Amino acid sequence: MLNLSSFVQKAQQLLDPTQGLNLTDSDRNPSKASLFQNQFRLPDSQHPLFEITAELTIPPANVTQGGKDRDGGYHYVGKLHLSESYLCFSTTPSSFLQSASTSTASAFTGQTHGGGPSGNGFTFPLCSIRRVERLHSQNFQFALAITTWNGISQEAGKDKDKKDTRPEQRITVQLAGTRVACERFCDGLKKGLRAAVGSVGRLKRVTGECYSEYLLRPEDKKNAAAPDAGLGMLFRYPGDPKKLRDRAKMRLWAEYLRDNGRNVTLIRQPTFHKLIRVGLPNRLRGEIWELTSGSIYLRLENPTLYADTLAKFEGQESLAIDEIEKDLNRSLPEYPGFQSEDGIGRLRRVLTAYSWVDPDVGYCQAMNIVVAALLIYMSEAQAFFLLSALCDRLVPGYYSTTMYGTLLDQKVFESLVERTMPILWEHLVKSDVQLSVVSLPWFLSLYVNSMPLVFAFRVLDVFFVEGPKVLFQVGLAILRINGEELLDAADDGAFISVLKSYFARLDESAHPKSENPKLRAVTRFQELMVVAFKEFSEITHSSITELRLKNKDTVLNNIESFAKRTAIRNLGPDSKLLSTAELGALYDRFYGVLYERQQRDLIFKQDQARRRSKSSRPRLADVNDGHDHSVEKGRVGLGPSTSLMDYDAFREFLAGMARWAISDSPSTPRRETFPQDKDNRGFYNSFSRKSDASLLSPWGAGPEPADHEFLQRLFRMWDVDSSAALTLQNVVTGLARIKGKRDILGTINYFFELHDDDKDGNVDREGILRMSEALLFLSRRGLEGSLSPSNSTISLNGMADGGMNGLTNDVPGQTVNERFLGSVSAFIRRCFEYADPDHARNQQQQYFGGSRDTQQKGDEGKPAGGDELADPDAFAIGDDDESDDDLLMMDSPTGSPRAAKRSDTSPSQRAPSIRLNSSTAPSTINDDAASDRRRVSRAQSEKANIALDPSNPLHITLPTFRMVVLADELLEQFFESSFPASFHIIEGLSSSAQTPTSSTLTTFSSLGMGAGRAVGAAFGGAASATSPAVAAGAGAGRGLRGVLDNIVTDGMRVAAEVRRRMEEAQKEIEKNALPGQRVNDDDDEEDDEDVGPLSTGGSGSRTGGGAAGKMTVGGGYGGDPERRSVRSSDRDLLNGADAEASDVNLVGLGETESGVGRNRGNSDASGKSTAKVVGVEFDG
Amino acid sequence: MADSANAPKPSSSVKLVLLGEAAVGKSSLVLRFVNNDFQENKEPTIGAAFLTQKCNLPTRTIKFEIWDTAGQERFASLAPMYYRNAQAALVVYDLTKPTSLVKAKHWVAELQRQASPGIVIALVGNKLDLTNDGAGSGAAESGDDSGDARKITTEEAKTYAEEEGLLFFETSAKTGYNVTEVFTAIANAIPETSLKSARGPGASHAAGRTEEQRVNLNGPRDPNAKEGCAC
Repeated sequence: MLNLSSFVQKAQQLLDPTQGLNLTDSDRNPSKASLFQNQFRLPDSQHPLFEITAELTIPPANVTQGGKDRDGGYHYVGKLHLSESYLCFSTTPSSFLQSASTSTASAFTGQTHGGGPSGNGFTFPLCSIRRVERLHSQNFQFALAITTWNGISQEAGKDKDKKDTRPEQRITVQLAGTRVACERFCDGLKKGLRAAVGSVGRLKRVTGECYSEYLLRPEDKKNAAAPDAGLGMLFRYPGDPKKLRDRAKMRLWAEYLRDNGRNVTLIRQPTFHKLIRVGLPNRLRGEIWELTSGSIYLRLENPTLYADTLAKFEGQESLAIDEIEKDLNRSLPEYPGFQSEDGIGRLRRVLTAYSWVDPDVGYCQAMNIVVAALLIYMSEAQAFFLLSALCDRLVPGYYSTTMYGTLLDQKVFESLVERTMPILWEHLVKSDVQLSVVSLPWFLSLYVNSMPLVFAFRVLDVFFVEGPKVLFQVGLAILRINGEELLDAADDGAFISVLKSYFARLDESAHPKSENPKLRAVTRFQELMVVAFKEFSEITHSSITELRLKNKDTVLNNIESFAKRTAIRNLGPDSKLLSTAELGALYDRFYGVLYERQQRDLIFKQDQARRRSKSSRPRLADVNDGHDHSVEKGRVGLGPSTSLMDYDAFREFLAGMARWAISDSPSTPRRETFPQDKDNRGFYNSFSRKSDASLLSPWGAGPEPADHEFLQRLFRMWDVDSSAALTLQNVVTGLARIKGKRDILGTINYFFELHDDDKDGNVDREGILRMSEALLFLSRRGLEGSLSPSNSTISLNGMADGGMNGLTNDVPGQTVNERFLGSVSAFIRRCFEYADPDHARNQQQQYFGGSRDTQQKGDEGKPAGGDELADPDAFAIGDDDESDDDLLMMDSPTGSPRAAKRSDTSPSQRAPSIRLNSSTAPSTINDDAASDRRRVSRAQSEKANIALDPSNPLHITLPTFRMVVLADELLEQFFESSFPASFHIIEGLSSSAQTPTSSTLTTFSSLGMGAGRAVGAAFGGAASATSPAVAAGAGAGRGLRGVLDNIVTDGMRVAAEVRRRMEEAQKEIEKNALPGQRVNDDDDEEDDEDVGPLSTGGSGSRTGGGAAGKMTVGGGYGGDPERRSVRSSDRDLLNGADAEASDVNLVGLGETESGVGRNRGNSDASGKSTAKVVGVEFDG
Repeated sequence: MADSANAPKPSSSVKLVLLGEAAVGKSSLVLRFVNNDFQENKEPTIGAAFLTQKCNLPTRTIKFEIWDTAGQERFASLAPMYYRNAQAALVVYDLTKPTSLVKAKHWVAELQRQASPGIVIALVGNKLDLTNDGAGSGAAESGDDSGDARKITTEEAKTYAEEEGLLFFETSAKTGYNVTEVFTAIANAIPETSLKSARGPGASHAAGRTEEQRVNLNGPRDPNAKEGCAC
């Protein structure tokens, strides 16, 4: 599953939420809101609230052209829509009706096919409506007369005289619907209008920058300066105005605007689209672009955003700015405006401001060219918002950091060529000409750099109203017109030169030799437009969308593999320590985790949003439907891509490849030790009911990661720049140091460094304990890598410590994992033995650090196991607990504050402490107690140990640490092989047959002990509290031992497999056992069966143990409550198997080789001590 | 290419791609090579620019089809489109900007792994005019004299180039120093065999033949010896 997700994850990252609209799956069934926004080019804030069939009547005074004349006006039947702050009307049945998908909608959405403001109608911001009156009408129940603020800014001065010269814009809309529907609509409209009153001032300001206001101003008021209509006003507009018939166009537009409203109050009638096709007049071009692209509505939403952004970031530097600066002098350099400081300054400001508001895009070459073109016709602010509309809606992804939109549209273009011009396509393939090397700049710079400017602007005129399909239509037309010549061109060079010369002659006659003067007058450009929009009229917004969806995966995968390749190659020297395969896997894991987390977060947020909207917004029911849809797809609102991994993501990341990083306590509220994260937590739980559980569990389908102090240390260590987040580089560098060198000294140093908080080369008492805890934490699911099966370690240990020597050797059947616990125990002892005395100064710090870190202990049981391991014989005596109690008693009065605190918990401490103390013969008390104290009776051990005496602070240095590690073969192997090998970078955990939950249940080292305890409890209810418990524990341990002995040679893999299958049986988890991986022989099968009961027993016991542990620690350990909950929840996981388990448990233990214990692998460590005793009882 | 085989000097076209960090002077190198010109403000390359130039060698004529790519980082994902089938690559860095050599190394690695096997790669440190030895021989090791903008020693880059088996040059597109030498060296380094099979049959013939013949008529031009390839 990780592979699968990593496959798409990067791709998903590339899909900026806003930009990706046309790429996401949800586009197949787009949300109604997004269709609505697209059709009317409205900002994302708008949603279709009400809609109703209506007839628009434009009174004769306003009529230039249009529909049929009927009782003195023009009538259009269509739909009237109301959003939060817009009233829209369109004759083209809207593509966002509930039933409409893009494809079905395209059949009747007119010219733009749902991709823009098509048909006849209007898009009035509510604040542009001055008055709505309800008329009495016989035909319809409701008729509204709408009066707009058309000409608002010029009226500002002298309202009164103006009215004489021109009638106000007044249209009638007759609603056709049930009375209820009409009334609902009108209520909504009323509300909206009321809310919009406050925005009238803003509207005035926005329209004030529109040239139309100036144009339509009566002559006597023209003295005021005209609004900025681009650099063209200063440096002339490109092209010959006479040839362009600019004046004539201007007159036509002036007339149209006068009759149909200007800028935001403009009513679209057929003439509007015709006027656009013939080319916009220079001074109005910017404004119409703004209007048709919808960027004027963005500007209306936040008119000062441009100025504010510039002010806010003034003087700041960024990479984008550097890049912009490089290109300023080379953007349309042939246009005089961009040879001047004025023009360059405008370009700089617009690009810079945009790079700030959209840091994901920043700056992309080609944007400079496009913006430069815009600036010829519009003001800086207008260009700024239009750029925004371009990047977000019109050409999404074109300028993004991966340019996926560009690449995708190239693919789409290629498939269109293949479909429409198969012969040419075949020729291209045969002569190995890659089309996109030619066409890419067309799209990327919207033809601005490819054609002479005058023609490029004509393309843009249509592009802004009809959308990106225009780029394709024009591109196809270019190829078709030049088809024959292109068929002669046999390589890239020839291909390019054919097109180059074509572009250079666009103004020439298309039919120079024609007899017909009219035909002769047709220019090549006109021919191009005709071919584009007539011959390729089948290219629609929806056909483009479909092709985009079809090619999306290929393109994104290409980008992804390129990005991956590049990222891995650029990881620097550290990465050389890892293999390519490892790096690739790391990359996938890294981004996989990030992606999945984003997805979960997204779904969560959508869910939130939906519920919020449900409760507070008066929407149509189907609005919510749209939302539901997007939630299922999980893609619409995809958060901005990130390449940073926070601590939780880091945990998840590790849990995907290291067994020790998986929580022992799944399904518990996570992060209790991390208060800052608590909030989210609850949310996830609260809504997990409604969607796919795997997605909505806070950790997705994967195992819940552990949260151990060691993880935090690792995170901090890797987070070299202390940004509380890791980059891929950090992760690779971090792992390279552990896994890359395979150098034992390096790993040892690393481990030491990890615990050397102040980097002074010393690790104090707490540090030593933390180290041993970390060792236990890392080994609690078993050791990996190549470990010597010999017992030499033990003998070595024995030599070092005479007391233990004989004992350990007496237990030949010890597993490596068991022995490792012994090694850790010995490690602690030796550390204290060889530690250097500290300066008094450090003492206090120690206290501090000590109490702090105790909170993070989750696994108090492990060290206990360690001790037992070290000297199993010590357990033979069941009544050690008494001495334990004695110790405690002694401690409580005398101990340090910490000790005192804990001493009151003594009753609960008993079980664990039993073994602890049993091993601590008076002579060796220092060492053993050191390890014990962690988990249980810290106080007592502190008391008992000189080494632990806070009044004798001490520390070890790296050389000491190294020596101690190397003194123990097993530890040495741990650092040499096991620890590095525990990161399963490539294969991950699933392939190592590790099912996290099951392993959790069985392998926790405290488990064995816990089992013992639980059993003890079961039995001990009647008997005395202490000694029976011990005996029972021993019994359990024995069973585990036996099992272990059987499977030691099979290795951990088999154990894991058995565990996994057992877990399957229990939980009916869907994960299918991998048949191929069944290594098991018959014995295993048996074991398998036995395992069930045993494991449940174990878990049950664990619960008991957990409870005990918790009580033990009492107030002293902040982490305890969590721990307890963990355990009980574990139990839940087992689903009541516990009950039967406790009974069966003993049986299994006693009689069969019960695979149980062995599965636990490491856990047996603890059980082992008991094994001895058991041996006596059962075997004997 | 059967027809060119008859000519006294065989002529063949070579696809060459320029790669490197933004603003290291890729386009300027090409401009110098193709037009023997230098512009302070060149339009940024969108996607890639395509130019051709011939290079006369004693035994053959090479027509370079030069793909000059955009240097901005995000255009990198387009690069495979351009270096596809390339027989030669110019990986350019700015010897006053250490990061550009890093980027150049990335490109070299990319090419070695992804481009046609046997691609001839030249590592070019541009902007030699900004260093003290700008006019002199590129081999001179720069000291820490004031006014020397050089940040990457010749030795460092050269060592790297030798390790990777690259041609290595330090150039100045501004002064023209060493520019044509780069292209000549590449032309020389292209194995004959790869020339024959370089492009599909028929490729470049229609467009290239007349020019090639013209070039052949001109023969080896001594006056151009210094500039080797400029024509």
